[in-house]
Order: sequence, then C-alpha cells, then structure tokens
Amino acid sequence: MSRARTTRRTATIALAAATALTLAACGGGGGFDDETDAGDNGAGDGAEDNGEALTVLIGSSGDAETQAVQAAAAAWSAESGTEVEVVAATDLPQELSQGFAADDPPDVFYLGADNLASYASNGSLLPYVDQLENADDFYPVLLQSFTYEGTAYCAPKDFSTLGLVINTDAWEAAGLTDDDIPTTWEELSAVAQQLTTDTQVGLSFGAEWQRIGTFMAQAGGGLTNPEGNEATVDTPENLAALEYVQQMLADGTLAYPGDINAGWGGEALGLGAAAMVIEGNWIVGAMTNNYPDVSYRVVELPAGPGGQGTLQFTNCWGVAADGGNTAGAVDLVGFLTSSEQQMEFAAAFGVMPSVQSVNEEWTEQFPEQAAFLAGADYAQGGPVAQGAADVISDFNSQLQGLKDADPQAILTAVQANLEAVLG
Amino acid sequence: MSDDQPRRAPRPGGARRSASGGQALSGWLFITPVIVILGVFLVIPIAMAAWVSVSDWNGRGNPFGGAAGFVGVDNYAAILSDPGLQRQDFGTALRNNVYYVMLVVPLQTIVSLTLAVLVNRRILQARGFFRTAFYFPSVTSTVAITSLFLFLFTASGAVNRLLATIGVDGPNWTQDARGVLHILLAGLGVDSAPVALQGSPLLGVSWWNWLAGPSLAMSVFIIMAIFTTSGTFMLLFIAALQNIGGEVEEAGVMDGASGWQRFRLITVPMLRPTLFTVITLGLIGTWQVFDQIYTAGEAGGPSKTTLTPAFLSYQTSFTGNRWGQGAAIAFVLFAIIVAMTAVQRWVLRERDTVPRRKRFVLSDGTLAADAQGGR
Amino acid sequence: MAATTTHRAGQGSRLGTAVTMAVLVLLAVVYIYPFVVQVLTSFKGNADAVANPLGMPLVWTVDAYQRLFGSSDYPLWFRNSVVVTLAVTAGRVFFNSLAGYALARLRFPGRGLVFSCLVAVMAVPGVVLLIPKFLVINTLGIYNTFAGLILPLLVDAAGVFIMKNYFESIPASVEEAARIDGAGPFRVFWSVVLPMARPALITITILSFQGSWNELSHFIVAASDRDLFNLTRGVASLTSGALGSSADYPLKMGAAALMTIPVAILFFVFQKRIMGTSDGAVKG
Repeated sequence: MSRARTTRRTATIALAAATALTLAACGGGGGFDDETDAGDNGAGDGAEDNGEALTVLIGSSGDAETQAVQAAAAAWSAESGTEVEVVAATDLPQELSQGFAADDPPDVFYLGADNLASYASNGSLLPYVDQLENADDFYPVLLQSFTYEGTAYCAPKDFSTLGLVINTDAWEAAGLTDDDIPTTWEELSAVAQQLTTDTQVGLSFGAEWQRIGTFMAQAGGGLTNPEGNEATVDTPENLAALEYVQQMLADGTLAYPGDINAGWGGEALGLGAAAMVIEGNWIVGAMTNNYPDVSYRVVELPAGPGGQGTLQFTNCWGVAADGGNTAGAVDLVGFLTSSEQQMEFAAAFGVMPSVQSVNEEWTEQFPEQAAFLAGADYAQGGPVAQGAADVISDFNSQLQGLKDADPQAILTAVQANLEAVLG
Repeated sequence: MSDDQPRRAPRPGGARRSASGGQALSGWLFITPVIVILGVFLVIPIAMAAWVSVSDWNGRGNPFGGAAGFVGVDNYAAILSDPGLQRQDFGTALRNNVYYVMLVVPLQTIVSLTLAVLVNRRILQARGFFRTAFYFPSVTSTVAITSLFLFLFTASGAVNRLLATIGVDGPNWTQDARGVLHILLAGLGVDSAPVALQGSPLLGVSWWNWLAGPSLAMSVFIIMAIFTTSGTFMLLFIAALQNIGGEVEEAGVMDGASGWQRFRLITVPMLRPTLFTVITLGLIGTWQVFDQIYTAGEAGGPSKTTLTPAFLSYQTSFTGNRWGQGAAIAFVLFAIIVAMTAVQRWVLRERDTVPRRKRFVLSDGTLAADAQGGR
Repeated sequence: MAATTTHRAGQGSRLGTAVTMAVLVLLAVVYIYPFVVQVLTSFKGNADAVANPLGMPLVWTVDAYQRLFGSSDYPLWFRNSVVVTLAVTAGRVFFNSLAGYALARLRFPGRGLVFSCLVAVMAVPGVVLLIPKFLVINTLGIYNTFAGLILPLLVDAAGVFIMKNYFESIPASVEEAARIDGAGPFRVFWSVVLPMARPALITITILSFQGSWNELSHFIVAASDRDLFNLTRGVASLTSGALGSSADYPLKMGAAALMTIPVAILFFVFQKRIMGTSDGAVKG
C-alpha cells in the first residue's frame, strides 16, 4: 500500500468520523454547547433561584479561608434551600479556564482583576453588579478594577494591601525596639542587616512584581500612569527601586522564599527562615492556622524617595454567564458580599471588606492590622487590560533573576511588552 | 468504514472458502476496538486540533459550531514571526529544549552503553543486582522522581551537602536561572553580552541568550532524565551485546586487538541498529518534556528557563485561554520531532550490510522497544 | 578498557575486574541512594529533613504518613489510581491481543491498511495530543468522568505490535488442528492461542500497568474534578506546593515513596521477565 494513499484515506476516515461526532455532540447536548449566550440566561430582573445546585470555585489562601467560605455558603444554602459546593482550586486559573472550555464552569468563582478582561471579552461573565442591593457601597476604586468597556462585571469580594510583617521574637533577639521600625529605605536596609543571621535572612518576599512593585511605588514609579492607559515601566524611579532590591539581594539581607526553602513569604516567616516579610492581609489567617506559636506584628511599609507606597489586591466573585442557576448565583454573591458576611471573612482570614459601610467597625475590631488599612490610602493597583497578566508574569520571570540581571534591560523589555497590550 | 480493496481470490475448496469468509468477519471484529479507540482518541483529535490551530477559539462555546472563527495562520504567526511576548516565549522554550536534547540524548546513550558493557562482563559477580539497581529508576513515575530530585537539589539539600564535603559551595539549583555557558563565560571574565550578540534575530531571543546554555535548574532535569532513562536503554544494549558477544570475541582474539580497539572497531559498528533505536527514542522523548515541568509547579521558572514547548502549549491553552495558539505550538513541535527524526535517520542511515533487525514502536509516551526482532 | 573478557585470565584481567567492580558499586550507589534518601526523609520531621538531608532520621516518626492518610486525599488518589490502572491494564491486554492476533493470523481485506494506519498513529508524540484529547473528551461528554480517564488509554498501538510479533512466532499448525475440529476464530484465539502467548501477555501487563500508573498528562486534560485525581496528579499538586505545603519534604517524600511501591512490586515479581527481554518502557 502506498504511503500517500494511506494518508489520504486516513484523513478521509478521520474527517467523516469527526463530522459525525460533532453532529452527535450538537444534537445530544454533551460536552460543548453553544446554544447559550449572556443575554438569554434567566438572571434578569424578576428571575428566581431555580434551586439548581451551585458550585463555587475559590483560590484559597489556606484552610482558614476555605472553611470560612464553606461555612458562609452553608448558611446561605440553609436560607435559600439551594445546595452549594465550595471547591478550593489547586490551580485556579487552569481549572477556571478548563471549566469554561469544557462548558462546565463553576457557577461562582474568584476572579482576579488581571484575568477580568480575558473572560469579560468573550462573554463568559455575567455582569450582575447592578442587581446587588449594596452595589453603591463598594469602594469605587475596587469596582473600577472589574469594569471592562464601561460595564462593571463582578463585585469585589474584599481587598488587601501589603505591609511589613515582623517576627517580634527575632526583632527583640536582635536588640531592636519600636523606635527601630523602618520608615525609610536606609532604615529598612539597616534593620534587615541586623536581623540577618546564619539561619535567618532579614527580609524575604516573593520574586514578583506583586511584592517588588511596592518599592517601585515608594520610589514614585509604577507600571502605568494613574489612568492606566500608558505604560510607564522604563523610568528612573522604577530603576532606583530595582537597584535598591538588587543591592539587598547582593548583601544577603534579602532572599526570595525559594532560596530559603519556603514556598512564600508567610512560610518563610513561620519557619523562622526570615525575620521580616512583605505580605498582605492573608498572612494573618495563615499564621493563625499554620504557625500559631510565631509572634509577629504588621507595620506600614517604609517610605522611599517618592514617599509611601504599597500595592492593593482584589478579587471579585465572578458569575458564569452560562451557569444553570445564575439567579441563585447572584443571590449567593449578594449574601457573600453583605457587610455582615464580609466582617466574618475578615475575622476568619484577615481580609478587608470591599464595602465602605463597615470601614470603622473593621478598624476597631482589628487594630493590629491597622497598617494594612492605612496602606489603602496610597496603594496602587495593577494594569487591567487583556494580555496584562502575561506581561506581568514575564516581568516576574525576569525578577527571579534580578540578583544577576541588568535592571535597566528588564525595564526596557517590560516597557515594550506592556505598551503592546495597552496600545 | 468500507474497504474498497480488491478481495483476495478465493482459494479452491469450499471449506477453505467459508473459513476465509469467517476470518474476514472475525478479523474486522477483532480489530474494531483498537481502530475505534485509536481513531476517536488519536486521529480525530488531531483533525480537531488542526482546526483550532487556525481558529480564534477562546475557550467558550463549541469551537466546531460557530464559536470560533477562521483566522488563517495568525496563531502560527504569533509564535513564529510577530514580535512580542508570545514569540519570545516560544523562542525561549525552544532554546531550553534544544539544550535539553543536545545534552540528554548523547549522555543517556553513552551512560546506558557504558552500564551495559560493564554489567555484561561474564565473569562479573552479582550482575543481576547491578542490572536491577540501574533499571529501577526507569519503573518509577516522573512525578515521584521529580519530587525527589527537587528535594535532593535544594539549596541545603543532599547534593550540595555532598559537594560541600569536597569543598564546593553548591548553587541553589532549582532556583538558579543562570545558564551554564554564561557561568563558564563569566568565569573567563565575560559577564555581559558583547555588542555583536545583543541583537534578537531569532524568535525574539537575543544571540546572547540563545547561547546561555541550560540553566542550573534545567540541568537538574537533564540529570534526572539521564538517571531515569539510562536503565531502559541499558537493557536494549545488553540484549544487543549478548547477540553479538561470541562473534566479537572470536574476531578480536584472532586479530590480537586491544580491548578498546575491539570495542571501537568491532562492537560499536555491530551495535549500530541498537544505537539507531536508542537515539531515535531519545530524540522523540526529549522533545516531550512536560510532566517534570508541571510537577515542579513553577510554570517553567526560574525565569522561564525550564519552559518547554510542550509545557508552553499546555499553558497557552489551558491557563491562557489562547487555544489556537496552544494548538499551533503543538503542531510546530510535532513538525520539529518529525524533522529531527528524519535528519537523524538520514545521518545514521545504513551504509553497510548489517541487517536491520531492530525495530521500534511507540505510542503515547510508552515506548516499547522490540530489539530482538521478535519474529 | 573494561569492555572485554578474555579467555586468558591473567593478572591484568583480574585487576580489570576489580576496577570494574569498584566502578559498578559506585554507580549502583548513585542509582540507589536517592531512593534511600526518599524513604529516610519520609520518616523525619520537617526540620530534620532540611537540616539533615543525607543521614538517618534523628527521631523516627510516621507523622508524614499519618498526615498523608489523615488529612490529605491520598487514600482517594490511591483508589482512583488502582481503578484506572486495573481497567486500563485489563483493556489493553484483551484488546491488544485480539488485534494482534487478527493482524498476525487472520486474513481479512484491509489488513494492510489497518497495519499502515497503526504505524502512522505510533509516530504521533503523546504530548502533542494534550489539547486535541481534551477537545474530543469534551465533545463526547466524558470530561470529568472515569470513562474519560480510562477509555482513551484502553488500547495502545505498541502493545498491538508486541502481541502481533509474538503470535507470529507461534506455529500455525496448532490452530489448524483446532480449526479442523470446528472451533470458531474467537474460540481458537481464546482457548488455544492466548494461553500460549503467556510471555507476551506478561510483557503487555507490565507495560500497561506501569504506563497507566505513571501517566500524568492525560489525567490533567481529562478531568479537573478533585474526586477524580489519581496519584500522579495528586502528588504533583503536593510537590508543586499547590496544596499549600511547599516545604513539607517528609510528606512529599512519603507520598512519592508510597506511590512507587505498586510498580516496584510488579517489577520485582516479574524482574526475570523484564530483564530477560529488552521490552521496556521509557518515560517521555
């Protein structure tokens, strides 16, 4: 049998079978199903929770968060009579993407601001925010992070900022007092030096823009202009920030968690591998659960040449447009974003509510975390554009090698990449 | 699925003929499960992926029912010609994998041949024990071995402890993105790109970075690949050595050649068919680095130096929602593997009269080598 | 050079043997010691594992295993792996030998075509199929089901070839006798030929078991439901730190060591068979 003939025949058979399969799938409603679209989903005004069970997919910071969300979902379930299953993702972006591609997305899920554009642009998301009772209570700046082409797609579930988290035992062991809490870059370098021992580095944080960006903010720089429509990566301010971090890496007073046998900053702090870390509100829950014996305190990050600066992070509750019970899903989100529920989440895993009405209540209840909320006044967010997530992950991959890299070259490259997606 | 081949002429004799008809029916019956499953899960998927690779499907709706539009070669252009992050990532992944192939294929061949020759010595005691020891890593899963190697190569891990005993201060292997060649050049005082190498002419990666060599992190995976595959290939070589053992000895003794001469001039040429098999399997396997990278959980880090085309294809589709581009990467990878195998076939083509007794077969990651000829 | 044996067992040769032996022992240590470290680490506390990666545990503890079975999904992963592996192995042994027999013995129109197609199919590298496999599994509506995990692995072309080659080595006269007695093709296959193919069946069993037990990429694209995680998927998520325990080395090493045991048992039981032939499996 000639080879060409075999190939041709194989192709014919394959095509015929593929066609048959596709037809069968369309008719049988298995797998893919393109009959649905966002306008047609019964979640409009007056639609009722049809009782179909809901799945909630979360990217959990740990058991504390998972259990808190599970408890909240159970409470709503008892109220509404609709079953809810809360699943903590192993790898949220992958599971989300695979869920949508398989036409079996979770009904409600965490969605980061950096992925909003990708899902909003292809119609995967149900824009439901105006159906919520407390729609006006959300911080406008947070809601802005989830607005794509003029439509607010999803409600911010909470937010966090970054602060300096200090192991107080290590602090005292090094002979430091409250007066030594660093307020400038020079002081930060100095205490990091003093805290560095044979088995412990002074400071640690992940090799990523999501941490190093705080120094860029403190230097007066940032990834974009305040309007978020122009890339401002390649600036002297950002260069100063990278050079400062690079110097500390070279001095050995700063190490990335991966270099000290830890997966992230909280683990480095908990294991005693680092005396100070830069982390956000989520560290509270992680420390309580995994390292209850480690005493720590949170202070504001030091100011740089450009003043104080930190980063803010927020996720929203995405609702799948193609879900079977979108009305129930929106109702559940309304429950989860209510002031009372957000305060419970705050107590369980240390986030800050995304609604303004409980601002004071929160500060009263969590005075030791005041530094995080103080950061909200001068915090920067990340760029929101389709493809921005890729640019940042590429930036991060370059920051991993910062110790031996040329900071100017990194900034030049990222500038070009970010211009391409904002352009 | 009808068959339009001319029927074989019926043989004389009624009984024979009916037996033959029965055979035709049962032949097809017997083979049907294999055809259906391979067809549905191998052949049809390739056709579907071919469509996706020229479509703009973004992961929502049915890509075969109107949710995806035809975009021609856009996805291929994005990874091969359009300047930008996508092309650069593909170039980086390609670079990483090229070094992986260049090191793993020769080294695993040499190591497995050496092991085979050592273990095959007839007067040796405990041959069975050594064979078992060298083969054992091959039966374990990539996931388990990766987990183990990441632990062995941590900053204060077993490997660095051993290095410390001979006075070497080991690097933090799995987090070190520095290329091996860059480290060597830095040792010679060259620690930044000469002007001539700063351009980015090929897939958005500068010459200087093409010449980085595998990163220390990638080196861990290279060592791991040699560790896990050398046992299997050792078995192939042992089988071949046993087949040719007698002839070599006689010829060698008569010529009065030294051991090394005998090995080089007689044994190696006679091993050519097995070498061919081992190198072919090596070339195909080393372009499919995925499990290790997935298990390490760094998404190709540090600094994308362990990114491979196979993993990039997965990541682009399954987390980046650019399914067309991911499929395009897979097809380019497929083309690379076919081309490499073809080139290797041509280079190692049979120029002498040693009969090609060795054949190899493979299927979805499982390679079964049938080096005995099996007939 | 060590590559030789001579009939003259002179002193040089004896020295050569000693050197070879020393080299082999050293190499064997290199190949085995990592597994020793793996097992020892699983019996350490985490601090001990980090501080003392090479030696014996300072304090022996089964804490890692307790957590593995108490507070992780390890038992579930194990069960899923067993279910999938047994199903795949049974399917491959049966379907591969059926097809191998048909190709080796039965004359039917289109045999040549089928054979050529199988050769072509074998040339497709598995990793290239990740996205396509997901698409077809999805289209068939078996995403996130055991069927999706098992069906695509149920036959492999390589196994068909091994069986075909073996059946061709069995003398045809045996079947002729049975056929004259009036046995149908399946009967001949099942009762006469298959029992004679025991060595090849063992080979297929080993390859299938090992292949599906160690498979990872297919399971990643075939399911995302945690209840369907098998060992490779689960241990990979442990290793990558996705479950929030990135530095818990005793746990990881224990998980990796335990998942190796079934294939190790299979290996040691059929060691002679594996070592006697050169059929083997290579990971990609």
